[in-house]
Amino acid sequence: MKKIITIVVLFISFMSFSQTTNTEYKKRVLETTEVDIITSFYTQDGDNASVTGGIGTEKLTDLATSFTVSIPLNDDDVLTIDATISAYTSASSSNLDPFDISGASGDGEDDDRSSHISKEIATNAASPWVESSGASKGDVWKSLNISYSHSSDDRNTILGANANFASEYDYASIGLGGSFTKLFNKKNTEFSVKANIYLDNWKPAYPTELDSYLDDNQNLNDGHFQGIDILDQNGNIIDKNSSTIWTPFKSTLIDDTSRNTYSVSVSFSQILSKKSQLSLFFDLVQQNGWLGNPMQRVYFSDRDNYFIGNASSIPNYTSPTNKDVFQLADDIERLPDSRLKLPIGARFNQYINEVVTLRTYYRYYYDDWGITSHTVNIELPIKISDTFTFYPSYRYYTQTAADYFAPFEQHTSTEEFYTSDYDLSEFNSNQFGIGFSYTDIFAKRHIWKLGLKSVDLKYDYYERNTGLNAGIISLGFKFVMD
Amino acid sequence: MIKKISFLFLIVSLTTSCVAVKEYEKVYLNDPDMLLAAKKSNRFVTSFQVYREAASGANGGKSGGGCGCN
Repeated sequence: MKKIITIVVLFISFMSFSQTTNTEYKKRVLETTEVDIITSFYTQDGDNASVTGGIGTEKLTDLATSFTVSIPLNDDDVLTIDATISAYTSASSSNLDPFDISGASGDGEDDDRSSHISKEIATNAASPWVESSGASKGDVWKSLNISYSHSSDDRNTILGANANFASEYDYASIGLGGSFTKLFNKKNTEFSVKANIYLDNWKPAYPTELDSYLDDNQNLNDGHFQGIDILDQNGNIIDKNSSTIWTPFKSTLIDDTSRNTYSVSVSFSQILSKKSQLSLFFDLVQQNGWLGNPMQRVYFSDRDNYFIGNASSIPNYTSPTNKDVFQLADDIERLPDSRLKLPIGARFNQYINEVVTLRTYYRYYYDDWGITSHTVNIELPIKISDTFTFYPSYRYYTQTAADYFAPFEQHTSTEEFYTSDYDLSEFNSNQFGIGFSYTDIFAKRHIWKLGLKSVDLKYDYYERNTGLNAGIISLGFKFVMD
Repeated sequence: MIKKISFLFLIVSLTTSCVAVKEYEKVYLNDPDMLLAAKKSNRFVTSFQVYREAASGANGGKSGGGCGCN
């Protein structure tokens, strides 16, 4: 009996010890629900619109807002839901159909084939330098990202999974991903691997003259072109029944609407001292499918040029003063169906003193389309007070051209791949930014049950040596739930 | 390319040999401005760069897919 009592006492003692161990205080990964709201307004202008073959207005505005809610499910698990909406209007995109004056073809109607070319607009207003009022002048990009993370009890291992959905009127995307993060060396070293797959699909919209010509049984006397005069380089009206007429270079447009992206990202972070730390990033990205943009026109130098509009403006075609003549495209851009990207980046942050911190970033990029690039970013947060920080920043970017890029009318039809998209041209850019941040670690100000933790306001000015310039203003709020 | 990757590994090897900083010594490292990532409020700035430039990735965020961009 004595033995039994001793065993029971020992068992209870052991269990009590075990209970104590199991209920040991564990700091929550995320203390409370956090809400981030970020909104931005972007505007740009330039003279190299890709929809009109590398010339034309690039005027564009975009208003975007994201809501991100991070919810602690328990001590170890966090669910994050991010919804983003981005609405743009673009003069360049509007010229997918430069002859559209109806503006009524939105809401799912077929923008390209909504009507015949208006005789009035064809002779008065279509130009790469004039914004059309068709449905393609604007669009809304919507995205939903759901991610989940689980941290181990010692907080040295983090597993994550995410799913993304995005759509715009000519594009849809589904993405899945997973991540593994390991901290070691007393949390001084962090190693992380992420993998993502995006299974995207074009719902292609084409330059209206190419699409309509193929849709109208390749007949310039019918459908879209019916009753419309087509002019040659000298401004003479062509005989649509002769052998020298405008025709698209190829009789097919997109034959594969998929665009799949497979990426693996490896990152490594290391604390270097009590005041400095470093991160290294390496991505391997493989893309397959239709990697060009079916909206973007290309004009060949070895094919005759044809126009719709005012004959007297043809000699002036590439000048912004041209407001009333439009050149019919030879083809859409064609690019290889495979692309391998290898970006390598590094961040180095140095806490200089209680007022100033130095944040730096460098990236080298290589891809098998012939593009290499360098990016350097420097940010110098300056604490003005306990709650306000000033953020001046500068970014320099340079890239070489893709092997398949040439400006307007400089490609030849003997090339297999071609684009006049200046985003793939050789250029360098400078970006200057200023920002202010307000932080209240106690989140005293409230809206409903949400305490305001921080406000960020930032303006960036971007200029490219191709003539494009842009500005973006961003406003972000961070709330924590009581 | 091989040289660059070797250089990267060299940096990694060097940095892992640093003295470990203890938790209570991380007060400066825990400053929000010391975060080894772009600020959240910068997300749309990064988005427009992805659209307007050929290069993307290697910044801890998305490196491709999800949009009809480059």
